[in-house]
Amino acid sequence: MTAHSSKALPARQRACSLTLSLPIQVALYLSLCSLTLWTVYFSPYPPVHDGMHSLRHHTLTVACH
Amino acid sequence: MSKRLLVLISLTGLVGMACFGRVALAQPTVNLKIDPPEGELVPFEASAKVQPSPVRLMLQARNPAGQPLQDAKIRLQIFTPASNFWLPTDFPLLEGKKLLEIEAISPDGTLQVQQMLPIRGTYQLQVAVAPTTGNQFKPFQQTLTLVVPENGVKYRNFGLLAAVLLLVGLGGGLILGSPQQIQLGEVAPKRVRLLLSGAVLTAIAALLIVNIRAELAESHSYHAETHGGPVPTITTPASSQKLGLKFLGQTQATVGKPANLAVQVVNLKTGQPLRNVNLRVRVMPLGEDWLAFSYQGSAEANGLRWQQQFFDGVPHRLAVEARPQAGAAFKFEPVTGFQDIDVQGVTPPLGSRLLVLAYLTGIVGLGLLIGLGLRGRFAQTQA
Repeated sequence: MTAHSSKALPARQRACSLTLSLPIQVALYLSLCSLTLWTVYFSPYPPVHDGMHSLRHHTLTVACH
Repeated sequence: MSKRLLVLISLTGLVGMACFGRVALAQPTVNLKIDPPEGELVPFEASAKVQPSPVRLMLQARNPAGQPLQDAKIRLQIFTPASNFWLPTDFPLLEGKKLLEIEAISPDGTLQVQQMLPIRGTYQLQVAVAPTTGNQFKPFQQTLTLVVPENGVKYRNFGLLAAVLLLVGLGGGLILGSPQQIQLGEVAPKRVRLLLSGAVLTAIAALLIVNIRAELAESHSYHAETHGGPVPTITTPASSQKLGLKFLGQTQATVGKPANLAVQVVNLKTGQPLRNVNLRVRVMPLGEDWLAFSYQGSAEANGLRWQQQFFDGVPHRLAVEARPQAGAAFKFEPVTGFQDIDVQGVTPPLGSRLLVLAYLTGIVGLGLLIGLGLRGRFAQTQA
């Protein structure tokens, strides 16, 4: 039990440090922003497209049709 | 003596140039009048609060003396502005394409159409004029241009979006650049931050799945619906006159591909087309109030044929009214009819969408860098 805890702890620490490292946080943040932008401005998914139709047509460089 | 000779040569040259210039100017021309005037033109605005209106193009073919050309066959081709990969419009499939091609016989040398202009930029109008019979005048061609500025609202909205994205990036940079160690009195402990990271990861995965599925479904439906059967011919008979309108064009069209449309006024008894008729043609999207295209004028013996580019992927209605021309031997009551055209929308090219996504993400990235830089400076000054 003690041996298991002492082995698991460094792995957990490594995961923590990796997840909280600045490059990973920045990449996650940019990916989330990018996918949100894609959904709002570029997705052809009909419910999203129809809801955002006017906004897309009224924003420079955004292709709608 | 040599000076006199030089002056004489110069004078002869000037007179010759003047004569040549007059000859060069003495060409038949096509005058273009537009309504609204060029300074007030705006491209088509989808989902607009104010009903978008097409531009009225009035072409007048004139002989070298400036008099209208009689009995002219006028062919008008309108080409949309050239494509700019780095700065796409909201209808990238229409960039650098033929928007309209129509040929009509005009007794007074005029051609009048109304056409909705879908995107910003410089349109090219290629006009070819030829006599209908004999050699009354030499056929000629002329290219005219029409500049349509971009709608100002689009610049404003893009500016607002860029400002918001920059702030999102800046905020993100300031937060992510802050010290990550657990400190006394810290609001969010490490576990909470881990949870937030996990939530971000889940959101990314969910958005990715939704978008890939939507992309695949769209391309499948497009392939399924554009491979239709043969184009049917619809005849709309007039009630009592044994006359009818015969629609010979496509009943299915796709955005980005010109559709061939045609209409004839026929005697339903003999099946022969009628001559000397005036047509009023209007193409409008169903359920909307704006006019995509209209033509008012005479039709050839085999009817009126034209090519038209649809830019909105919704069903359209082609409505036609035929009347006898003034002085025509065969008189009849006006005949009206319509044909519905199913227009299939097409998703814009993936490349252009990804490019603009890269622009927008780049703005967030710029904000992030600024935020991280500010946080770094703050940490240095504190140390």
